[in-house]
Amino acid sequence: MYNPVTQASKPRAPYHEFYADDFTPRDHYRLLWDHIKATGNSALEAKAHESQLALQAEGVTFTVYGESEEGIERIWPFDLIPRIITAAEWVKIESGLKQRVRALNHFLGDLYGEQRIIKDGVIPPELIYQGRDFRREIVGIVPPRGIYTHISGIDIIRDEKGEFLILEDNLRTPSGVSYMIENRVIERRIMPEFFDKYKVRRVAHYPSLLLAALRSLSPRGKDNAEIVLLTPGIYNSAYFEHTFLAKEMGIELAEGRDMVTINDIVYLKTTTGLQRVDVIYRRVDDDFLDPLVFRSDSSLGIAGVINAWRAGNVAIVNAPGSGIADDKAVYPYVPDIIRYYLGQEPILNNVPTYQMTNVQDREYVFDNMERMVIKAVSESGGYGMLMGPSSTAALRKEFVDLVMENPRNYIAQPVVYLSRHTCYIDGELEARHLDLRPFTIYGEDIEVVPGGLTRVALRKGSLVVNSSQGGGSKDTWVLAE
Amino acid sequence: MRYLIEHETILDYPSSIREHHIELRLAPRTDGHQKVHSCVIETEPAAELSSYSDYFGNRVDYFSVIPPHNRLVTRLRSEVETFKENPFSFESVPKGEEQEWLAKAVRNSPPMNDFVLHRSLLTPSVLKLAEPFETQVPKRDKEQPLLDFLLELLAWVPTVMEYRTGSTEVHGSLETALAQKGGVCQDFAHLFITIARSYGIPARYVMGYLDPGISQDGDMLTTHAWAEALVPGAGWVGFDATHNLLTNDHYVAVAVGRDSYDAAPQRGSFKGVSSGEQPTVTVTMQEQ
Repeated sequence: MYNPVTQASKPRAPYHEFYADDFTPRDHYRLLWDHIKATGNSALEAKAHESQLALQAEGVTFTVYGESEEGIERIWPFDLIPRIITAAEWVKIESGLKQRVRALNHFLGDLYGEQRIIKDGVIPPELIYQGRDFRREIVGIVPPRGIYTHISGIDIIRDEKGEFLILEDNLRTPSGVSYMIENRVIERRIMPEFFDKYKVRRVAHYPSLLLAALRSLSPRGKDNAEIVLLTPGIYNSAYFEHTFLAKEMGIELAEGRDMVTINDIVYLKTTTGLQRVDVIYRRVDDDFLDPLVFRSDSSLGIAGVINAWRAGNVAIVNAPGSGIADDKAVYPYVPDIIRYYLGQEPILNNVPTYQMTNVQDREYVFDNMERMVIKAVSESGGYGMLMGPSSTAALRKEFVDLVMENPRNYIAQPVVYLSRHTCYIDGELEARHLDLRPFTIYGEDIEVVPGGLTRVALRKGSLVVNSSQGGGSKDTWVLAE
Repeated sequence: MRYLIEHETILDYPSSIREHHIELRLAPRTDGHQKVHSCVIETEPAAELSSYSDYFGNRVDYFSVIPPHNRLVTRLRSEVETFKENPFSFESVPKGEEQEWLAKAVRNSPPMNDFVLHRSLLTPSVLKLAEPFETQVPKRDKEQPLLDFLLELLAWVPTVMEYRTGSTEVHGSLETALAQKGGVCQDFAHLFITIARSYGIPARYVMGYLDPGISQDGDMLTTHAWAEALVPGAGWVGFDATHNLLTNDHYVAVAVGRDSYDAAPQRGSFKGVSSGEQPTVTVTMQEQ
């Protein structure tokens, strides 16, 4: 059963990834530290400049949406000091993620099937039936091998004690993997000498892993798989990633209007006629995926694709309906979900979370808003969020009203001071907060690519790492031994 | 009773459209109260139909017309036999046990939660309705058997709303109907459902047909709509708030859902210029 949190942890000093204390680096950073000391700041300055040029040349960009409808394309912000994760640390992260992804897929299969977990009273029915992302349209459809989330990008943070915690589950169309790969390409080019000193596990095989997983889902067999990446188009903030992945995997990049469903079979319109599509790697949200069953005003999707999916003629990755499992109001129940389906204790813990539907929790949060993060449950990318420590009284008042209007729509967490890491910023080595998004692929089996996207809050003292809100990134090294 | 129902829908487009996908919820249900003897759906242009059963147990027939076309016609012809002569013939549950009976029904079947929890513009939260209106809503007396309360509610709905043909839009908000104190069968059903749910009583929307001998919908016979509430001992009981009647064998149910949107008879998506086409619908219902 869900236990309301009764006390927020008191703020401590954030964990430093690089330094054990003020003067000594952690063991696995010592070689890097020695190297930086030996070459000096001017060498770093040259490398930083080189990395900027390389990113520009590669065209590694992302799009920020501000006031205007059309976004601004920016060069991907990259910090050249790598983040290093030891083999032992990785074992825990990897096993924890596999366990979580396995349990969440059982959960989805159950929700869209028998709903044993509700009947057994483990999670309250309101949580699901009032969730915006529970898709009644797909109840009773069983996706191939019961897998819903073929790709997960689950966010992990490190608390003040250095414990890895799950911050949120991203199971819809998680983005960022292209930057994981590009960061490595850039790092290797400008810092080849670093790689001589460490045995760093590779991440470049992600596209081939994903391609194999996509092929394995083809209704006509994996040797006969026409795969399409469905993008909302050039104005999407992750369009760079869509083109990148399509190119890396050698699959078609298409928009909804390039496809048509005829008698439950999806076709791509090509210059040589209609070509049958077996697998759709969609980067379009459920709401817009099929105007026949979801939002009828959507022009980004493919009319009839859900019926084709039900008929078993096409695979959709990730499966429609996956969003209910990463709903932030479901998140507090994930440890119970793991226990319920797997009979195991969670390997990676959650951040303590207050539910705004619980009166006691809610009052506690309202009394301690300066120490809380309040999040809208179905928003992502750092939107719809109150960061207590930096909030104004007016904004806090606004959030109290929002929460009271729809408590199911919000959760709160005590501010966790994310771990920090040394970054090279404007000619100085400075500490900044960061998180980690590893990517998990559920194909024939579950695999976590050793690495991930480390996102850095570039503004001094900031805890917001989202690239849409001034975040940067680092290459992430997982050591082989 | 045995009825022959014919239902034709014509959609005309000023300029040609293509890649037209349609879902129909037109086939009458088969349940304890009615049996479908035949059901044929034809389309123009001709198309191959497929079907599935949706989340609410409705049969959905779907098809597509890919080449350019200016007109789309769907025709249903179905023979249905109905059995429920007396809606009151069921074994009621003692009133002290009614609440537990309902709670158990919801516990055993989680999807039932939808019919208690669902809120939309069509079936809003009662708290969101205008203040003076709220005070008039029938209050549920805990000593009263549930069916008595529902009958009171059924009689109350037509006192705050008058039937006016074409006065509201399809899937229009309940607030609009209440503000103008008038609506069509859809609005009467939504109002009944909204109040029932506010008391925690599972209630759902039904789209179907009503024997024209009873209907007060005027000369133009179209589909009808009513509400169903879960009554202890009886299961789903139909409440036709437009006519202040419990549904019986003069009613033929087609599709159910949380509100009218779920139970819409026809839904489509196409490529081409849309100019808010209104379908021409012709329904006939003859006693056999």
